[in-house]
Amino acid sequence: MVHIKNHKALIEASRAVLVVMIALVIGFVITALVSKEPVRAYAALLTGPLPKVSFAHGVEITNLNRFGNWLEESTTLILLGLAVSLVFGARQFSLGAEGQLLLGALAAAAVAVKMPAPFPLHLLLALGAAGIVGFLWGLIPGLLKAYLAVDEIVCTLMLNVIALQLFDLVLLNWLRDPGASFLGTASFPASVVPPLLIPGTRVSWMLIVMVAAVLGVWFLMARTPFGYALKMVGANRKFAEYGGINARRVIALSMAVSGILAGLAGAHLSLGLLKRLTVSLAPGLGFEGVVVALLARNDPRGVLVTGLFYGYLRTGAQIMERSSDVTREVVLIIQAVIILLVTAERLFPSFQQWRRTRSDGGAIAIDRGLGG
Amino acid sequence: MPARVAMQQISKIYPNGVVANHKVDFAVEKGEIHALVGENGAGKSTLMKLLYGLEQPTHGAIFLEGRRVEIANPQRAIHLGIGMVHQNFMLAPSFTIAENVVLGNEPRKGRLVDHKRAIAITAALSAKFGLQVDPTARIEATPVGMRQRAEILKTLFRGADLLILDEPTAVLTPQETDELFWAVRNLVDQGKTVIFITHKLGEVKEIADRVTVMRHGEVAGRVATREVTEADLARMMVGRAVLLSSYARPAVRGKVVAAVHNLGCIDETGRPVLRNVTFAVHAGEILGVAGVEGNGQSELVEVMAGLRAVATGEIRINGKAVQGASVREMRANGVAHIPEDRLANGVALDASIAENLVVDRYHRPPFTRYGVLWPRSVRQHATALMQQFDIRGAGPGASLRSLSGGNQQKVVAAREFSAAPVLLIAAQPTRGVDIGATEFVHGQLLAKRNAGAAVLLVSADLSEVLRLADRIVVMVKGEIAGILENGPQLTEETLGVYMLGRNRPTP
Ligand SMILES: Nc1ncnc2c1ncn2[C@@H]1O[C@H](COP(=O)(O)OP(=O)(O)OP(=O)(O)O)[C@@H](O)[C@H]1O
Ligand SMILES: [Mg+2]
Repeated sequence: MVHIKNHKALIEASRAVLVVMIALVIGFVITALVSKEPVRAYAALLTGPLPKVSFAHGVEITNLNRFGNWLEESTTLILLGLAVSLVFGARQFSLGAEGQLLLGALAAAAVAVKMPAPFPLHLLLALGAAGIVGFLWGLIPGLLKAYLAVDEIVCTLMLNVIALQLFDLVLLNWLRDPGASFLGTASFPASVVPPLLIPGTRVSWMLIVMVAAVLGVWFLMARTPFGYALKMVGANRKFAEYGGINARRVIALSMAVSGILAGLAGAHLSLGLLKRLTVSLAPGLGFEGVVVALLARNDPRGVLVTGLFYGYLRTGAQIMERSSDVTREVVLIIQAVIILLVTAERLFPSFQQWRRTRSDGGAIAIDRGLGG
Repeated sequence: MPARVAMQQISKIYPNGVVANHKVDFAVEKGEIHALVGENGAGKSTLMKLLYGLEQPTHGAIFLEGRRVEIANPQRAIHLGIGMVHQNFMLAPSFTIAENVVLGNEPRKGRLVDHKRAIAITAALSAKFGLQVDPTARIEATPVGMRQRAEILKTLFRGADLLILDEPTAVLTPQETDELFWAVRNLVDQGKTVIFITHKLGEVKEIADRVTVMRHGEVAGRVATREVTEADLARMMVGRAVLLSSYARPAVRGKVVAAVHNLGCIDETGRPVLRNVTFAVHAGEILGVAGVEGNGQSELVEVMAGLRAVATGEIRINGKAVQGASVREMRANGVAHIPEDRLANGVALDASIAENLVVDRYHRPPFTRYGVLWPRSVRQHATALMQQFDIRGAGPGASLRSLSGGNQQKVVAAREFSAAPVLLIAAQPTRGVDIGATEFVHGQLLAKRNAGAAVLLVSADLSEVLRLADRIVVMVKGEIAGILENGPQLTEETLGVYMLGRNRPTP
């Protein structure tokens, strides 16, 4: 049989670049429609997160905090993206990252406020607590789905609501600093705050934790028997079971392990960024993890890339909103258009396949599988 | 008169570089039944997908009744009167047959689908072409034979007068095959043209007027069927003489490997599917299980593989009671299992060949050592098995979906045969595989037996059971109707009598 060199990767890469260009052009057109100085506004979006280097008086780096914002934002997004990619990899449409993030942040805060300890230990205890609580909060829907066939979408959305109430309850009744003028804990002691990596920003050791998480998830998926089992359950559950894989255990565990990562994202928000815990922590952030995982097609290495991309876009959007006459709503629309186009491009091959099966006799792809 | 279909100098190169068709000339006259045969991976399905607009040829031209056409997609093919029933069915499982038949072209009442008319249309088509179906039955609850008739009706409903049937008999029982042939003849009498892909050369002789033989993506010959013998066709397909003889049987029956005692089992709806099933499989023997499909054979296989819970009774493997054990425990006890529905249960189409080959053993060395999975071992294992079992594909990393139907089957066979089983359960192991591969699978089953394994062979193909089995269990309505010694005196007719339950005293 003859094989011809395949250019698929190249074609795919150039197509991705092309789509991003198109998306940016559309974004600019929208900006031009609403802004008096569209070029300046759009430049804020595109280059805002980069530090400015000036050589006027020796080497001087300014705007480092914006650069820091990008990395901080990406750290959270990547941890969440990893969490979602794990469950999606097993074809579980779990949307529980939001709740796990909240409770992870809460657990970290509880340790920070109520369990004094010397420096590295205190931080490790807080991170551990966040991970364990995330794990348990993910295990609940995991067990319900695997052993009682409860629909995981409904279940995780309900658990998100419960988590939010629990968060407020515990925070306001036990952790809140009564002397403070706002609803939240007192500032955390230095022993629990992760040390900075880049002075002048909030980029801390959590960046290293995030990179380790990427490597860890990659290793788990590519180099452990559990990762193999998870992939097979995702590819064809009946096949996995026929081969002797305990699919229920794999499903329950995938959702629980995913919770660890979401919990760590929560710890990053509270310990690394806010250095205290306040109500209304980060509404909707859990769902951004879905975007990141979808863009990366559940590949942990891809999550690193798309998380940085999405983080950049979100940071740029915030800067544009702050520094130009474009309003928040429009900024969100531009951001959504770009993400929508890029997501569509990433999902296109599977869409094409779906269309093919559809047009071929109007049949429905039988191995649709989601939620199955 | 120009041919109904003429494909000229067709080449197809898949994006992954596989040349599936190379300068193929293929022609079908109006009103004929034209068989298309060839080994697994010879390019038969690909050629038909080009004709049905599912793939585009890299080179070459297609003519319909002398007119050159571009068939960009299946809608266009349907418009041109071409219909295709796929090797792997494409019906929506939770829909009824009538809904599937009219899907995409539903009769409407206002904005809603007119279900009554859909049923009437289906019933009328069914009567006209002699393809019996129950229009109101859900696809998932109907036997394969009926699903297939539903597929054919669907193409007819869309006005096809050229039907492509890709390995339609691979999934059918002998009775169902007879019914299908009757219906196909009926279609041709009503002016339709049929292209018919199969691996069973007897069927070619029985039903086709002419046959095109493919080998390695090229046409190896086109002949009128009455001018050739099965052996001639086999030689054209494989490029060498193939033995279609029966097998010598020097069985040395050893100790009991698997003992099933008073097994009873009820299905999801509470219906008893197995009752008082008692038998033993010895080392060094092939125990055949025959029966009209749906008489408990599938459930028996699932129970013994650990996939289905037992209600009552006992299973022992080498003396150890194992009923209720998980699949993994069963496999650890030396049970290997070639499942009946290999595409649904035996493979993951979107995983790689290498990944598919280790699903039962990935957790053991050399694949997992110190808790770590070693992709290199997985790949090497695949390379070795692909060579040993002649699996033709782009390489161990290629997805299973990119393999031809028969090569997908071989992946399953390769995995299970290489598992060193003490009990090998083979359910319909040669469905959909070509004669070369059938020969190979039969040889492997015999080799396993001769090496001292116990083999449980479940097959709807009576000639296969008679050729291979040392003893034959006949199942009727979930019970054992008889256990027969195989030998020259045993015929398909005798088996048939048992299978219909006629020899039993009526209670
Ligand atoms: N979508 C695809 N992408 C890449 N290669 C493919 C694809 N489909 C088929 N092939 C390759 O093309 C060759 C011919 O496949 P095809 O399905 O036409 O064989 P076939 O004659 O129908 O075999 P079988 O009897 O096993 O069904 C095989 O080597 C197969 O691996
Ligand atoms: Mg085929």
